[in-house]
Amino acid sequence: MRTYLQALSLFFFTALFAFANYRLPEWLPADIYLRLDPLLGLSAVLAGKEVIRRAFWSLIVLGTTLVIGRFFCAYVCPMGATLDFLDLLSSRQKNRQGFKGEASWRKVKLFLLILFLGSALAGLSLAYLMDPLSFLTRFYTFFLYPLFITSINLLIDFLRPLFQALGWIDLSHLHYTQPVYYMTFITFSIFAAIIALSRFAPRFWCRYLCPLGAFLSFISPLGLFKRRVGPECNECLKCQKACPMGAVQEDPKKTNLPECIQCRTCAEVCPKGAISFPAFPSPDRVSKLGGEYAAVDFSRRGFLYSMTGGLTVAFLAGRTPFTPLQGKQQFIRPPGAVPESEFLRTCIRCGECMKSCLTNTLQPCFWESGLSGLWTPKMDLRFAPCEQNCNVCGKVCPTQAIRSLSLEEKTHAKVGTAVLRKELCLVWAQDKLCLICDEICPYNAIVFRTVEGYRRPVVIASRCNGCGFCEQRCPIQGGSAIVVVPNGEIRLKEGSYIQEAKKLQLEFKPDPGDDKFILEQSGFKVGDGKDLEKSALPEEKKQPKKPKGFL
Amino acid sequence: MGGQSGQISRRDFLKTAAAGLTLSLAGKPGFLAAKEEHDLVVMSGAPATATKAALEAIGGISRFVTKGKQVVLKPNMSFSNPPEWGSTTHPLVVATVAQACIDAGALRVVVLDYPLRPAELCLKRSGIQEACKPIKGVYVLALEDRKFFREIKVPQGKVLDRVEVFKEVLDSDVLINLPQAKTHSATGVSLGIKNLMGLIWDRYSFHSRYNINQALADLATVIKPQLTILDATRALVSGGPGGPGEVQKPNLIIAGIDPVAVDSYGVSVAPWYGQNFRGRQVEHLLVAHQRGLGQIDLDQLRILKGKA
Repeated sequence: MRTYLQALSLFFFTALFAFANYRLPEWLPADIYLRLDPLLGLSAVLAGKEVIRRAFWSLIVLGTTLVIGRFFCAYVCPMGATLDFLDLLSSRQKNRQGFKGEASWRKVKLFLLILFLGSALAGLSLAYLMDPLSFLTRFYTFFLYPLFITSINLLIDFLRPLFQALGWIDLSHLHYTQPVYYMTFITFSIFAAIIALSRFAPRFWCRYLCPLGAFLSFISPLGLFKRRVGPECNECLKCQKACPMGAVQEDPKKTNLPECIQCRTCAEVCPKGAISFPAFPSPDRVSKLGGEYAAVDFSRRGFLYSMTGGLTVAFLAGRTPFTPLQGKQQFIRPPGAVPESEFLRTCIRCGECMKSCLTNTLQPCFWESGLSGLWTPKMDLRFAPCEQNCNVCGKVCPTQAIRSLSLEEKTHAKVGTAVLRKELCLVWAQDKLCLICDEICPYNAIVFRTVEGYRRPVVIASRCNGCGFCEQRCPIQGGSAIVVVPNGEIRLKEGSYIQEAKKLQLEFKPDPGDDKFILEQSGFKVGDGKDLEKSALPEEKKQPKKPKGFL
Repeated sequence: MGGQSGQISRRDFLKTAAAGLTLSLAGKPGFLAAKEEHDLVVMSGAPATATKAALEAIGGISRFVTKGKQVVLKPNMSFSNPPEWGSTTHPLVVATVAQACIDAGALRVVVLDYPLRPAELCLKRSGIQEACKPIKGVYVLALEDRKFFREIKVPQGKVLDRVEVFKEVLDSDVLINLPQAKTHSATGVSLGIKNLMGLIWDRYSFHSRYNINQALADLATVIKPQLTILDATRALVSGGPGGPGEVQKPNLIIAGIDPVAVDSYGVSVAPWYGQNFRGRQVEHLLVAHQRGLGQIDLDQLRILKGKA
């Protein structure tokens, strides 16, 4: 029963992950697992000092835990399911050695929890590092998803001759674009290390490390369902050995309540059928509750240490040039990203935006903005552009560090401005007939003006929203002669991008016929750079006003 | 995806297709008697009916497509824009030609492009996928991987020695070019010959390494469509090739075997960037003409003009 529920939950998690793409319907919250996570929600709220609406979903998990107990870990958590599943695959639990230092290790997750919350209080988001849902989503995005596409393509390639022989045209031309990410190797290594730890104890992660488990263990003893051992118990200790959480104490009748995830494995293995999980515990257990609740093994000193640790980490991490440079770096954030410092505080690094990104332009940062920016999404526009008909990154963001915007709003969420590097540009530097940037620009932000006898590309900044098609398509090798820089980006915590763009006199939907307008103007009346005007005007008279390609 | 303005409903498609059918049944127009005597057919009318009439006037699709042939159609579906933008071939033009090929007994019709925007979006938003869906044996593909291309030599190439072309094109029997008439910031206009660039893998070198006008003429020596049907029902007369820009409605379908002749006529149907040009003024067409790839001077051509 439990295994089925776990498998079902893992299936849902995977299916929602698969659904996170540009076709995601409005009504489907693909990020629901992350929204339900109270640790991510609390951490983002503490760090951002803001109310995050989507984080209210986590009250569901908090509420049910208060009522039922720590069932989340055993039945819902896809990370727990993954660990159990991998444990099943490798039958090593049989010869697993007892883990020494058990009691002191158990506290680690509590320390981590307090440390993460402490750092969040001081404005540094860290919980994502070890929160199981963020962690697993990251692993899915950066490792499993690319691996899956690779495998599918290999399979199709293998079968392709067969498809061709059978005349199945669609299948013989099937190919999925391979997603690639900068942080794949690092993400995978961390995941592999955590899986490897299961060697020492089943659910090593859940027992000793998981800060979300620690968070839930604080309130789970209040739940209704409690493990109860009847008088039939012959103290065979089978339950103690079988408990994946090590929650059965020396005396098998006693339960370490905060650690119990109600998986009922103990009840299953008990030869006497002595173990049950009654909904309403007998009165004597209620009276003991206080005592057992104190079994959350955590001293005041431990709390102080880890809180201080968290604050210190956060303060130190903030005392680098990265902080004053926030929002001034060279990288481009996705459209709709809230202002940089808020963005760094609320982003939970789950990678959903990067998974769902239609063009794969969203890439995880490594050290570009220091510790506070690890795995945050940036746009690699040389690699891929931002598609104008897609707004999925905001839709799937569980903390709305990237705001969910309509296509129209998203078009106006300018991420930067294209700048021509004339010394590299084939037209400016070599008088060649290249116009790829103009050809591809969806907003007519690149126009041609006659300068020194040639029609050359010029960026009209007020029409460029930084989508990066020009940068990606520029045929220059090694770099791009047209680069999007964050200059002019619009990042709003709230309010309309359309209004803001209007205020700034930006226009990303040019009227038909504006190329003609520019042509008649010959590009010299749009008052930018009088030197240009002087040097080019005489040439202009000699050269009849003919568009490129005409003789 | 906002307003589905780019989509053609099945009903609309059936209506227009039925209209075309009625037209062809209602008695053969007089111009059909003169078939095969004309180099160019210029048909005025709505996309589907004009295409249908143009096909009849050029001598019927059976001149090019016979039973069991594998056909590739090359429309312009490089951009994820609806047909009203004038940056992609009208879906009804593509569907009408595809249907005609199937009716003529084609084994299969592959509608093919290597798009500039995300493939899935181009197929969807151009309306071409939807329009061809009801026709059995027609496959609409936008391919983006190099494994679908094969390198061939360009024996008569001046600048181009080799070029990687869609295998599907190289291995099929018939290629029909279905370009959209539009401006192009590098080549002035983008018509039939320019449309062939959507069949090759490395188009960037056309801009960076080669003179694009020479390279296009080279390309036209190795990719030779049996028939070119230029969609000038709408013409993107500025802001091309991707738009947005000014869209005019010449309401013309221009069909011919000679790729230069079709393009040359196409130049004359609309003012590009607000000016009138002749075919000779378009450098890549002139180069192609000089290389013997076709007739550029309209007065040398026998042109049949009709109304559908």
